[in-house]
Amino acid sequence: MSDVIEEKLKNYRTAPFDARFPNTNQTRNCFQNYLDFHRCNKALTEKGQDTTPCEWYQRVYKSLCPIGWVQKWNDQLEAGNFPGKI
Amino acid sequence: MPSLLGTVAKQLKSHPALIPLFIFIGGGATMSMLYLGRLALKNPDVSWDRKNNPEPWNKMETNQQYKLFTVNMDYSKLKKDRPDF
Repeated sequence: MSDVIEEKLKNYRTAPFDARFPNTNQTRNCFQNYLDFHRCNKALTEKGQDTTPCEWYQRVYKSLCPIGWVQKWNDQLEAGNFPGKI
Repeated sequence: MPSLLGTVAKQLKSHPALIPLFIFIGGGATMSMLYLGRLALKNPDVSWDRKNNPEPWNKMETNQQYKLFTVNMDYSKLKKDRPDF
């Protein structure tokens, strides 16, 4: 299972089509992947597993999100007032 | 106004050309209400119950199509590619 993930991470080119967000506005796709990255990290560290699979979500949100948004959310996470549910 | 339907039926008998008007206006109103109903109940972005179903868009299948018409997108070929956690 983990080498499937590493294979996918190695062959990553861009964010794939997501059926949950089929329209032109991909804002929620960006936010959802950011949330999923942090939720994945939290869930896998609680289980004590390796968090490499979560890197998929990080690659996707880095492809989709404007850098300013990512920086703002990272600052909010550090300050403790991030509005999403992680 | 009592028996609005009775009044309308009487007027329609003396002006039968109005019947197609009712059909088309009624059909248009029905179609808009049906589309609004579809949006309210089937749209995955809509969450009626925030406590038990907070993110309904995450419950979609990987190749589930919500749009009515898609051009250049073959949903049957999509495979799951997100890692589970």
